[in-house]
Amino acid sequence: MSRRMKLILAAGIGLGAILGTTTAFAMMQDASAELRASGQVGEQADGYLGLVGSAPAPVRAQVDSVNIKRRAYYTDLAAKRGAKIEEVAATTACELFRTKVGAGQYYRLPDGVWRQRDGGTPIPLPSYCG
Amino acid sequence: MRRMKILLAAPVVLGSAGCVQVSAPEKPIEINLNINIRQEVVVRLQQDVRDLIKENPGVF
Repeated sequence: MSRRMKLILAAGIGLGAILGTTTAFAMMQDASAELRASGQVGEQADGYLGLVGSAPAPVRAQVDSVNIKRRAYYTDLAAKRGAKIEEVAATTACELFRTKVGAGQYYRLPDGVWRQRDGGTPIPLPSYCG
Repeated sequence: MRRMKILLAAPVVLGSAGCVQVSAPEKPIEINLNINIRQEVVVRLQQDVRDLIKENPGVF
């Protein structure tokens, strides 16, 4: 193999790696937004994503992955502020209900029932949301 | 010798009795909404939580 060919090959591999990483990063950037938009996943009052019905394995895996990360952030913030993990998680849910659940997307209040947000009206928040 | 066999078998039996079946559950983090959230705590945490959401768009 000539030196030039090696160089071209190396450049190709490098470019591929960069593109792959960027794509993976872009996918991770809005993982939870995409999951909510799919209609198979919704936001729960406990601060985690939940499966609205029976979802296929890849969706379940993505939900698990997001929830594990959330749990880590909640744990971290709870320790920093001397609060319970559940309190941080519930506060986050209040905020996500306010700002992230779009029209037609699913949410689950403390009564455990999945509901679909209708276009115009905001989600009726639990009283502790303030 | 028989006693030895029993002694040797004991840890095997105990080992399998103590074995906890760990399988991937359908929902790893169960929804637990029976907790009492106080509004004052929510208000105190609100700004931190807003920052957290803003800084981690993929997760929230």
